[in-house]
Amino acid sequence: MAIVEPIDANDPGKPNRPETYGMVNRDIIRVLLRPTPLWALGVLIALTGMAIGGWCWAQQFMWGMGVAGYHPPVMWGVYIVTFVFWIGIGHAGTLISAILFLVRSRWRTGVYRASEAMTVFAVMTALLFPVLHLGRCWQAYWFFPYPNQRQLWLNFKSPLMWDVFAITTYFTVSAVFFYVGLVPDIAVFRDHARGLVRRVYGVLSLGWRGTHVQWHSYMAAYGFFAAFAAPLVLSVHSVVSWDFAMAPTAGWHSTIFPPYFVAGAIFSGCAMVISLLMPMTYLFDWHRYVNTWHFENLAKMCLLTSGILTYSYSMEYFISWYSQNPYEQAIFYWRATGVDYGWAFYLMVFCNCIAPLSWYSKFMRTHPVPLFVVAGIINVGMWMERFNIIVSSLAHTFDPAVWAYYWPTFIEWGILIGSFGWFSVWVLLFCKTFPTVAITEIKEMVMPPVKHAVER
Amino acid sequence: MTAVHRDGRVLNVSSNPRAPVAAAVPPSTLFELQRHYSPDRIRNPGKRSAPGGEIAAMAWDQAQGELSAAVQQARSGGKKVAWIGPYLNGQIAKLIGEVTGGNAVFWEPLGRDAEAVAAAAMLGEGAPLPRYDLTTAKHVISFGAPFLSDGWGHAGHAAQVAAARDANRGGAVAHFVAITPHRDQSSANADEWHTCRPGTEAQVALALAKLVAATRAYDGPGQELLASADPDAAAQASGVPVATLQALAALFSGQEPGVVVLPGGIAGASANAAELAAAVTLLNVMVGDSRLWSADGYRGPISTAADVDALVADLEAGNVGVLMIDDVDPVHTLPGGEKFRAAVAKAGLVVATTSHPNETAALATLVLPTHSPFEDWGDEEPWAGFSIVRQPAMQPMYDTRSLGDILLDLQRGAPAAAPEGGEAPAPAAVAATWRDHLQQAWLANLAPSAAPDVEGSVDPAPSPGRWEDVLMAGYFAGEVAPRDLSTMTGAVSLGGGEAASGSGDYFLQVYAHPFKLDGRYANEPWAQEVADPMTGQVWDSFALVHPATAEKLGVSDKDLVDVTTATGKLTVGVEVHPCVAPDVIAVALGDGRTAASGRYADGTGVNVSPALASARGAGGTLVLQGNRCSVSKAAGQADLVSTFGSDSDHHRGFVAVVPAAEWHGDEESEEPGHLTGLHEAPMDPRLVEAEEEWQKAQAGFAASGARKPVQPEHREFTSMYPVPDHPVYRFAMTVDTNRCNGCGACAVACYAENNLPVVGKWKVKAGRQMAWIRIDRFFAEHSGNEAPSVHFVPMMCQHCGHAPCESVCPVLATYHTIDGLNAMVYNRCVGTRYCANACPYSVRRFNYHSYVWPEPFNLQLNPDVSARTMGVMEKCTFCIQRIRRVKSAYRDQGFTRTIPDEALRQLPACADACPSQALTFGNLIDEKSVPHTSRKNGRTYTILSEVNTYPAVNYLARASYHVHRPEHASSGHGGEHGGGESHDAERG
Repeated sequence: MAIVEPIDANDPGKPNRPETYGMVNRDIIRVLLRPTPLWALGVLIALTGMAIGGWCWAQQFMWGMGVAGYHPPVMWGVYIVTFVFWIGIGHAGTLISAILFLVRSRWRTGVYRASEAMTVFAVMTALLFPVLHLGRCWQAYWFFPYPNQRQLWLNFKSPLMWDVFAITTYFTVSAVFFYVGLVPDIAVFRDHARGLVRRVYGVLSLGWRGTHVQWHSYMAAYGFFAAFAAPLVLSVHSVVSWDFAMAPTAGWHSTIFPPYFVAGAIFSGCAMVISLLMPMTYLFDWHRYVNTWHFENLAKMCLLTSGILTYSYSMEYFISWYSQNPYEQAIFYWRATGVDYGWAFYLMVFCNCIAPLSWYSKFMRTHPVPLFVVAGIINVGMWMERFNIIVSSLAHTFDPAVWAYYWPTFIEWGILIGSFGWFSVWVLLFCKTFPTVAITEIKEMVMPPVKHAVER
Repeated sequence: MTAVHRDGRVLNVSSNPRAPVAAAVPPSTLFELQRHYSPDRIRNPGKRSAPGGEIAAMAWDQAQGELSAAVQQARSGGKKVAWIGPYLNGQIAKLIGEVTGGNAVFWEPLGRDAEAVAAAAMLGEGAPLPRYDLTTAKHVISFGAPFLSDGWGHAGHAAQVAAARDANRGGAVAHFVAITPHRDQSSANADEWHTCRPGTEAQVALALAKLVAATRAYDGPGQELLASADPDAAAQASGVPVATLQALAALFSGQEPGVVVLPGGIAGASANAAELAAAVTLLNVMVGDSRLWSADGYRGPISTAADVDALVADLEAGNVGVLMIDDVDPVHTLPGGEKFRAAVAKAGLVVATTSHPNETAALATLVLPTHSPFEDWGDEEPWAGFSIVRQPAMQPMYDTRSLGDILLDLQRGAPAAAPEGGEAPAPAAVAATWRDHLQQAWLANLAPSAAPDVEGSVDPAPSPGRWEDVLMAGYFAGEVAPRDLSTMTGAVSLGGGEAASGSGDYFLQVYAHPFKLDGRYANEPWAQEVADPMTGQVWDSFALVHPATAEKLGVSDKDLVDVTTATGKLTVGVEVHPCVAPDVIAVALGDGRTAASGRYADGTGVNVSPALASARGAGGTLVLQGNRCSVSKAAGQADLVSTFGSDSDHHRGFVAVVPAAEWHGDEESEEPGHLTGLHEAPMDPRLVEAEEEWQKAQAGFAASGARKPVQPEHREFTSMYPVPDHPVYRFAMTVDTNRCNGCGACAVACYAENNLPVVGKWKVKAGRQMAWIRIDRFFAEHSGNEAPSVHFVPMMCQHCGHAPCESVCPVLATYHTIDGLNAMVYNRCVGTRYCANACPYSVRRFNYHSYVWPEPFNLQLNPDVSARTMGVMEKCTFCIQRIRRVKSAYRDQGFTRTIPDEALRQLPACADACPSQALTFGNLIDEKSVPHTSRKNGRTYTILSEVNTYPAVNYLARASYHVHRPEHASSGHGGEHGGGESHDAERG
């Protein structure tokens, strides 16, 4: 594949290099063998989460949105917060797999498959929310421009409409790109499997035989998809940010939102990759493939985007002062000083601006525990960021006489938990059925088996 | 009042366009409408085995037979047949008098008995109450009467004040002074507020009268009353400084001072309430302006609390054979009501003749349910010479009878004994039905010279005054000779009551809730759910506590406090409120009912009456005020639910005030809105260009003969998008905040018209009140002890030209119509709620659930209004169903006609109901319409115009004299008030 030059065997940052192709195959396929009790427990927990979410949604379906905490002026809450959160998570995968591919960044190899999978599942999770936050979710198909006898059409001026197209496009492209990358690896599984499983992998591998012609076409297609997916990383979260920026609501109505949201998305996505890969690395003993080098690079990505976020937060305050817009000023003043949501603001600042600074220390960004803990903090912080933007802006809207306090209900928390359950089930199933580390790309790191290799 | 029908059901009420009095639908009429459909109405006659027990149904004949037998038995046993009910006059009061032989008690706890006592003492027995017409007033001085709600009769004072405060009628804006310890919704509209210690209003009024007498060199009747006045002592006792009294007295100088003084109503119902009423009468007589005040108001029997006491004594003595209880609730509301309850048990037979249950009626064993006012014939005379005649608006819903029919049947079944010196009416003379009785009485009234034959031929040319004409008009205005006041006496001994009773640092002040009044509408969900204008509270009782007092007590909003008086203890939640005096705790009367009063009243709030001493004022008046109490913080919090957010508009331009002295009427202004002080920024040159472009375009249209496009409504309007095209109509509304007094009639009417669900206390607490129009109440900036000025800003969908909600809806469920309406297609809505987030006015409401109307409330649903189900948005439509109706009507007359302005002005339900005509609807393109003309005057402003929403609603700034800011010393009322500046000087 693309990363043609083998990694320098003497690079001290990359220990435990795989030695042979067979070793790679064995290491990766080993993961797919008999499920461990730990994995089963994970699935059980995830399914329980999903069941909680499902029950809560059923309640909401039956009794209406009244079971959630909405009331004027706060008509969006946890569902949209969580939607934006998951969409944001879904950015890192395509960033790592497509953009880092295009810029020939070598370290992507170990982590891109897992992050791509995370992207697809995160977007699948995010896609639940625009549907389940609807007052009448059974009419969700009205969002699509299909011809109908009633001659009803859609409002293409609405940012929600843009969302529909941006997200479905992003999902489709991410999923196809993800699958294209998987094809040679599925072929490896096919070759190692027997019986029905072999037939299934056989179908999924699309007749991959690893011929030169196939590799040639494959590389062209992969490059094409990478180039196609890369701009989507920037566009989809820009469009999501317009859901807010296009409404006149103070605290939302800001031109800084697209870059600010994209940076935040990459920030949260990279943190989520660390959160997911860290346990996997230990559980599946992948230290040969995913190691400090990768995590350190992810941490550096987070550091960069954290800096952009800190700048954006400051800029929001500067602009609200500089614009002399009283509504903006009031909202930003209140966010930082109000008793209702002030804690959320400071939690966000701590999680997204202060905690990541610890990664300026080499120790902190190269050791698993601090990496994992800070990545978790960032995940919380990014959820709080969306909560701050969405809820606090609405709660202190234009008319002071309607200012009110919103707090999620049990049902909303349940659906939030359910979304994590849904996401985790997909991740767990995936890592037991498909290679979570890209076999073919890892093999590129192995010294080719040439005859004078015995010199080693 | 007229009723709106559909399929034989009354759906809504509307003002009577024929009546010469100002159009008005007071909220109480709407509550009567809901009460008409109340599921708690008694549906058939019956009998209880024991008081409060289940009602066993029986036939009317049998029930009436039992009543007649009991009455006959009572009369033969020398016992009395007594009746207790609300203030009634007209034919029904006469009939009650005949049946009971004068043992009728007409009693209401709203403090008007003092006026009757004073009128009787000064002008002779049976003198009518005074009548106030504030239309031409220059100064209104109120001692706290809730004259802008229905808590003090409903004689259209709201419309009068609105007119008096409107400089467009010519002359200066009326200046409103309230002297009361608690500003309720009515007194909140005052320019100047002087707190006086509860119970001292009479002293203040007399002192003022004395000063005025000196000013005006008054030497007419009433000198004896003046002799007892002492301004210095009054100032000392009340806390109103002499300087303030002198400043107020100065208002009375001049040839036509135009001052009208209002009594206290319930706020003045202290031990010397009658003295207050007498002093107020004297003050008005001294002004001597018959346009403002006359002695010919409500005439009809008004009983005092002493009359109730007499009834109780009769009951206790076993002198009452039959007690009929009409729609009053002394057991609940009268201080010492338990005594009444015990006494009722001693009556021979207790009969309830109400349409609706209450705790006193629950004591009755024989239950004779009456028609609601919408099913019944009737007449009343709100002031002397002016009568209202009611006819049924629908068939009776249940097996009920008119009270008149019950009494006529009783007259037939048990002929009255001969009154002293007269003859008993022969049974044959009793009319067959109440309707016939009423008709006969009216025919006799109308044509005293030639009694017409009812059965006879119909006069082909009805002469004015005929019964049919009166019925059709709904009213009859007769002539009443002005009362001769020279016989008035001031030699009355009405004072002397101890102003305060009990002990404690505070006073417990009770007031009439603007909707529930004395609690009579506590079972009406609308009255409970529509936000209290002053506090936004719903479905509960609360104690208003001054911020300084709250600090002293260490309590804040919702904390429970124990209010302990000599007779009882209330535990009630606190609402910290700057509109009470620091030493006053104000609680509304009439809550805290049990299931006996109906399912919605059951358990809401606390009943204040057990904490009130059962004292009687001079002349036997009901005493509700002056109870000293001690207040302490109790454990826990009350579940108070308020719909209000911030008390301040944070200088966001929701409130605009014009100095009253600078406003001399609206006229087209070079710079619209210049009086509001809201748009001070220099105008962007690009906007001027845009304006010129418009002028050119308009000229072009005019030349080509095409319809004119609508002009940008605000000069500062600018946009990168084209202005929506409105070729024929741009429906718009003007909200005159100077006329609005916050009464809430609009909000209630909207509930009635648009099928808005009542969601109950817990849903309101969750923020899910469904009102399409709300009244934002803002206090002007104040700090600590300063009294704020109060501003009411009705807020409904602004039908923006560039509506943020429209552009964000993904499925086009909300869109801009060619008539300028922001339409909402419920069926298309998927419920993203994005529109609600985008709306800067936060007026959109969401259907969190599918709401159901318990039977028979569903019968009141308006079939013209689309149903909404779970998950869709809704909001004010400007009553599009009414617009459609008039549009169709005018289209039927030919396509050339557009709707004339007159047909639009009061078209939406809110504008129709508004007693003060603060809301005016119209077509902005029509140059005669109020929205068009008002947008050019100096008072106009649009809310949040900087968001460029191009709203269809414009507001007109409130005219205000400065608000007096009393300095409260720590000792309570001893402090020196800083004010009393001459307002005349300001008024130029």
